[in-house]
Amino acid sequence: MSLFFRWNLVPLIIVSKVLIISQVHSAQAEPVDFARKILPILSNKCFACHGPDSKKPSQLRLDSFIAATADRDGVRAINTDKLEDSEILFRIHDKEDPMPPDDAEKQLTEDERKLLSQWVKGGGQYAKHWAFVLPKKEKGKEGIDDFISESLKKEDIDFAPEAERSVLARRVALVLTGLPPEPSQLSKFLADDSPESYEHLVDSLLSNSRYGEHQARYWLDAVRYGDTHGLHLDNKRGIYPYRDWVVKAFNDNLPFDEFITWQLAGDLLPSATLEQRVATGFVRMNPTTAEGGAIPKEFQAKNNFDRTETLGTVLLGSTMTCARCHTHKYDPIEQVEYYKLFAFFNSTSEGSMDGNRYEYAPVLRAPASGQDWEAWSVLESERIAILEEASKLTGSIQGLDKKAWEGSDDSARLARIVNSNGPWKGHGLHPRAIELNKKTEELQKRFTTTLVAEDLKKSRETKILKRGEYNLPTGDPLEPGVPAVMGSLPEEAPKNRLGLAQWLISSDQPLVSRVLINRVWQRIFGHGLVRTPEDFGLQGEQPTHPALLDWLAVEFQESGWDLQHMLRLMVNSRTFKQDSKWRKEVQDTDNRLFARGQSYRLDAEMIRDIGLWASNLLDPTMGGEGVKPYQPAGMWAALMHPASNTKKYVRDKGQRLYRRSIYVYWKRTSPHPMMTLFDAPVRESSCVMRSRSNTPLQSLGLLNETQRVEMSRKLAERLILSSNDDGRRLDFLFGLLASRKPTDPERKVCEDLLNKMRSRYELSQEDATALISQGEAPSDAKIAITDLAAWTQLTTIVLASDVAILMY
Amino acid sequence: MQIPEPLREFDLNLTRRQLFGRSALGLGTAAMAQILNDQSFGLDKTSTASHGGLHHAPKAKRVIYLFMSGGPSHHDLWDYKPKMQEMFGQDLPDHIRDGQRITGMTAGQKTHPVCPTKYKFTKHENNAEGLWVSELLPHTATVAKDLCVVHSTYTEAINHDPAITYIQTGSQIPGRPSLGSWLSYGLGTMNENLPGYVVMHAKTRFAEQSLFGRLWGSGFMPSEHQGTLMRSQGDPVLFLSNPKGVSGKDRRAQLDALALLNQEQYSKFADPEILSRIKQHEMAYRMQSSVPELMDLSKEDDKTFELYGEEARDPGSFAACCLNARRLAQRGVRNIQIFHRGWDAHGNLPREHESQCKDIDRGSAALIKDLKRLGMLDETLVVWGGEFGRTAYCQGGLNKDNYGRDHHPRCFSVWMAGGGIKSGITYGKTDDYGYNIAHPDGTPMRPKPSKEKWTPGTMHIHDLNATILHLLGIDHRKLTYRYQGRDFRLTDIHGHVIKDILA
Repeated sequence: MSLFFRWNLVPLIIVSKVLIISQVHSAQAEPVDFARKILPILSNKCFACHGPDSKKPSQLRLDSFIAATADRDGVRAINTDKLEDSEILFRIHDKEDPMPPDDAEKQLTEDERKLLSQWVKGGGQYAKHWAFVLPKKEKGKEGIDDFISESLKKEDIDFAPEAERSVLARRVALVLTGLPPEPSQLSKFLADDSPESYEHLVDSLLSNSRYGEHQARYWLDAVRYGDTHGLHLDNKRGIYPYRDWVVKAFNDNLPFDEFITWQLAGDLLPSATLEQRVATGFVRMNPTTAEGGAIPKEFQAKNNFDRTETLGTVLLGSTMTCARCHTHKYDPIEQVEYYKLFAFFNSTSEGSMDGNRYEYAPVLRAPASGQDWEAWSVLESERIAILEEASKLTGSIQGLDKKAWEGSDDSARLARIVNSNGPWKGHGLHPRAIELNKKTEELQKRFTTTLVAEDLKKSRETKILKRGEYNLPTGDPLEPGVPAVMGSLPEEAPKNRLGLAQWLISSDQPLVSRVLINRVWQRIFGHGLVRTPEDFGLQGEQPTHPALLDWLAVEFQESGWDLQHMLRLMVNSRTFKQDSKWRKEVQDTDNRLFARGQSYRLDAEMIRDIGLWASNLLDPTMGGEGVKPYQPAGMWAALMHPASNTKKYVRDKGQRLYRRSIYVYWKRTSPHPMMTLFDAPVRESSCVMRSRSNTPLQSLGLLNETQRVEMSRKLAERLILSSNDDGRRLDFLFGLLASRKPTDPERKVCEDLLNKMRSRYELSQEDATALISQGEAPSDAKIAITDLAAWTQLTTIVLASDVAILMY
Repeated sequence: MQIPEPLREFDLNLTRRQLFGRSALGLGTAAMAQILNDQSFGLDKTSTASHGGLHHAPKAKRVIYLFMSGGPSHHDLWDYKPKMQEMFGQDLPDHIRDGQRITGMTAGQKTHPVCPTKYKFTKHENNAEGLWVSELLPHTATVAKDLCVVHSTYTEAINHDPAITYIQTGSQIPGRPSLGSWLSYGLGTMNENLPGYVVMHAKTRFAEQSLFGRLWGSGFMPSEHQGTLMRSQGDPVLFLSNPKGVSGKDRRAQLDALALLNQEQYSKFADPEILSRIKQHEMAYRMQSSVPELMDLSKEDDKTFELYGEEARDPGSFAACCLNARRLAQRGVRNIQIFHRGWDAHGNLPREHESQCKDIDRGSAALIKDLKRLGMLDETLVVWGGEFGRTAYCQGGLNKDNYGRDHHPRCFSVWMAGGGIKSGITYGKTDDYGYNIAHPDGTPMRPKPSKEKWTPGTMHIHDLNATILHLLGIDHRKLTYRYQGRDFRLTDIHGHVIKDILA
């Protein structure tokens, strides 16, 4: 029972002590890496009672050297005067009164006992957990491959050979844009043997707007983007301009420090732009309710728990949730620090209940499609150009009140230039400004609302909530602040969300750049360097390549938070270009050494998008309200409240059926089944790493779902129209999906199936017609239906095969 | 289909990868961990294979959970309070309400008039002092000897979304795996041709509250642990049927070709996940015949329909869901949940509850009798209950024939039956107003969930979940999943197995 008191019951039976000493002495005293080897053991097995959240002042704590070496009634956990007399050594081996106690849920393993003994006997020194120490670049190493090759050398192995160029082209296109290379792009690359050809391919992929869509998707998982409020009625929420802005930000390669600042505090920036304010949708992304009877104060707390903890996951790689109710059991985060962080978010002005409203205020009007965002950017550049030119001319414009001009903001200045009775009349800027205003007004007519963050004039008081209960505030009001172990707010930083952002992006912050770059690595290489991307704390996994992670984190900052620079470093590395074949001579199931290329099932969105793309159905239109492709009838109605406005799924028609999956309508209590079937998260809470499951239900979806059947048919049609020769058609099919020609066995499998299906549908035109009549897209009437049906059967399986749905 | 040679070579690796990477197959993870003798899942190393890899010998092999979403009124169904009749219309005494926070819907009411039930209660013989059942549940009353009715279930949440999320996932805030996912993770499946965790939605006239994917979702666990919806509209399992114009024979030919393509891919990359996917495609193929066989009631005898009623032929009716549940159980599915909505009777409670009870009464009783006649009740745990109870006072206008009741978290009635449960008893007691859990002498008490201490006579929702896991052979403190550095449990840090109700 009591883990708390046992430690203090020191008297030991002498016999057992003698026995133990002999055991202890057999271990060897070598220095042990505390941060990597010992701290994880202490955290996982001891801190629940002897950690930062020890309940009693009298309780032994093992989370610091001072506490662990203190004299406690003649007993010292680590006895620095006589290390072999350290109580830890006895108790971890003690049969009578062991630590952890017999009934503790977590027991030490033999290896852990050895390590602990070795550590204590080596002096019992402490060190800071690695993730809280600022990253530094290791000297003498130039880039990714230096680090990876070092670890390979230790295992006495070399990099795997480079993947075939076609495979590489597919791989790099998939990781950057989420789609295979275009046939023309591919043939150009394969035809050009020069060393630059790969870089050219990478450049063209990075400049394709498909790139931003693909990269944005991971961010939307992390921030839990959804098109509905999430709780209770789960009504529609107007926030898709935020999603479109994220896509735009990636395509613009907006430096990541700004990307973060705008999202956390765009509204607090001086003369905040439309984009900066739309970005604050990040703060508003938490699920909300308006359930009758819900208590507003309770949800004020819950909404901010969610924001605080999401910030922890997304940017700090830290689990904050423990500290909501008590000081963190493992990581050095006190409860009061949790509520200081919470305080940054506690003064936003929206009501804590959403009113089931689409326009859950505060909202802002913003461009309603990708195209309009483009248009807005063009007008914005023109506006800036006009104002800049005007400012240079103020001396030469007659009748201009220079003082008033200096004292006005941009919009007042523009109004002056536009004024037909004002001093600018007659100048060339005057008609340009009028034109700009006209176009802006036209564009604004098409704007839609999006949820944004704003602060109250007077901030809301924040106190510690005892046990995390909204109705138990205790202690003095708290100022916003950050956990001490992660650094401190920059001195001049304001104590609001903007100050928080300034801290997050400062070079004194140990976590943010590591956490972000780890996730970039994860999506390029299949696994992170830290394989618990949501937890860099004591309970998380250690990085497989700590020095590489640090090097990348620093490089990211030094590059000006340039994501595309980092992606180039990664995809240009030898590490990235390795063949994916599992190596018999390397015992590394999980590829922790990165001694081979990646191999894993693609994400839900990629699987769907590749099919749409290959069949020429993919509609390139960007942004706008979420689209509703085919979905089995009744899925929403079976769950929904009669008063909900998302009770009925009304599927779209025409081109909207074929948009990229990032634009699929995301109803949080019931997302599209083809998404969740393939591990897309529901987006009620942050997800920084998806599972990759492998289930029979996925097989059913791949082979039977309406859109799959439709895309198979349209792909079949494309192949048939491309050539009269089956062999060439197969070349084309594999070219699209695998960036290569089929192997002989593949060719034979396909031809056999095709022939079988042709004769089968010859006999039943009725079945052929039934098969090719699914989905809205019309078929080309010129094509024989038996031929189309037979090819549809084949394309269905190739699209479902690991040729198409696997990253390799 | 011939499985290629290297499969064996990678088999052990594969198994380990699935377990320790976070990509387990739908196999019993706890059981698998046992086979590999690893303690990652906190399993007791000294336990032997005699428990089938579980923490202790299970009392039940499977669970069928009849979930009454919206909060059925314990006053009108189970918790007999004759003294309330004398108090009709009087304000609820302050010492009874005792500072209880009440929802925004009735907090503004000037009075909180005591609202006795209009329904007649009859005492039915059970194996103890008898069970009072309302006239709304005549069929269920006939299985009184099999039920353990717990009157002292309680929660903290006072609104639907948080309350139902709480009882189903152990947390009021979304993001955690559901009870069913925990069971899937712990138990795995006994029939690879059917999903391991099946969820059904029964029809109701009053679909007043929403359900959420998270109630059967897998939260931060791999998604294969999420519940599979068995639907009454369209394909019973999503995308089960071949597209029109594709026969079973065509599909066989397609799958053979697909397997060859995947094998070719495997020969290139040797990734064992590819082999695993070949198996999944085959399993899907078998599911295409096992699910229709499951749904085909033509071989059920007359006795079945005498029990469940003709209604059981109507797909999506509660009775049909119950019959499906039994058929699933017979086929090795260990984890079945039926959601029935419409219990949120803020007003017009009599009209709504009468209809609701009519929906579920016969089916619930039939399920018990049916399992019993097939000799399966002993090894099947059946649970019936909602996310909270309803108030003793009236919401809105009160008269003898019509009234409404608000949400009530402090006490509500849940029944359990079958595998490992003491049959024919009631457990726990409430005060004369059915407002507070009470000591044996009837004085109100205010239990709180506590890690260290359990209050005898009470069943917090964490206790309910701990007890469900216990009966299935799982120690709720040991079934953990590491996420964000913490070993999460269904019961958070709480939960006590209610030993008093175990057989």
